[in-house]
Amino acid sequence: MTHLFSEEEWNDYIEGRIDDETRDRIEAHIIGCLSCWEFHERMATATRALVVCGAGMRVAFALQDRRLNAGLRAVFAKINEAEAAKLDQPLRAIQQRLDALAAVMAPMCGSQTATKALRAAAQVSPACSLELVSEDNWTPFLTSLKTIADVMCGETGARLVWERGQS
Amino acid sequence: MDDRHAIENYLLTGAEEDFCALFEAVYPRVRRYFLLRGMEVGEAEELAQDVMVIVYQRAGEVREKEFFTGWLFKVAKNELARFWRRRQARRRIAEMEPLDDELAEMLLTEMEVAGSSDFVEWVSYLDPAERDIIILRFVEELSYEELAVALAIPIGTVKWRLFNAKKKLAPIIKASLPTAARRFN
Repeated sequence: MTHLFSEEEWNDYIEGRIDDETRDRIEAHIIGCLSCWEFHERMATATRALVVCGAGMRVAFALQDRRLNAGLRAVFAKINEAEAAKLDQPLRAIQQRLDALAAVMAPMCGSQTATKALRAAAQVSPACSLELVSEDNWTPFLTSLKTIADVMCGETGARLVWERGQS
Repeated sequence: MDDRHAIENYLLTGAEEDFCALFEAVYPRVRRYFLLRGMEVGEAEELAQDVMVIVYQRAGEVREKEFFTGWLFKVAKNELARFWRRRQARRRIAEMEPLDDELAEMLLTEMEVAGSSDFVEWVSYLDPAERDIIILRFVEELSYEELAVALAIPIGTVKWRLFNAKKKLAPIIKASLPTAARRFN
């Protein structure tokens, strides 16, 4: 039931956001159209009721200071957690790559020897220790490991280690 | 400090202390939006906190500060959709932690308010999209422009949806509030 007017025009009129010309046209129409008058009254009443009850909702759901502070603490805890996870990410990625190398070597020379080989390769590389192996010194570390693996696991084993380390 | 200043300051500086002022201004609104969308208090708070983390991390993406509130509720709406998807995927019974007395009392108060509210009853007759627009317009007082950003629709569609939601509510409001309706006239 919108007669000569669009839903947008009716909405703007009821919410008092309409331009003067359209407002005059709507008012000239509803004076002579009972159904539009009644429709306008229903819509205006509904709008006013929503405005009043909406304000009531804002008061009803007001938050106590203590809950607000608890919320703020929780947000900062989440932010710190997210930032820590972001910092840990490269370390975890390196650890996964080291684990993958150990897993390739273990069937060929045993898991303890594989771990020792990784440590030895790190010591003779710019990383100096397994704990300091990073993305930046990965290639020289892998080159050292390949040399060690060549002796321990043979040429094919060394190539496998190299390929795994590069993936 | 009013809400507008809190928003402007944080968007300008991105400083932690300005975030605290922003949090005070907008967290209760986001939490209330989730509660009015039918979530339980604990879930609403958890989700509102997730929204505030996104605000902290990504508020710099908001190009025009006038549309911050629209962007905020767009984020809230997306988080709500993600929540329902996750919940549907899980469909398992979780063990609930016992409530402390303070929270239990607060929950009771809010549930009583919500349960007895005409507004909550009225919006329960609407579908989710209509409910969104009515809550954001009449409780959160978003402008048409902000609604367009929040709901990712053109302003013309905002007006059309508002009109149709109100048209649907008009007889319900009239029937449910015969005496109060006179008060609104």
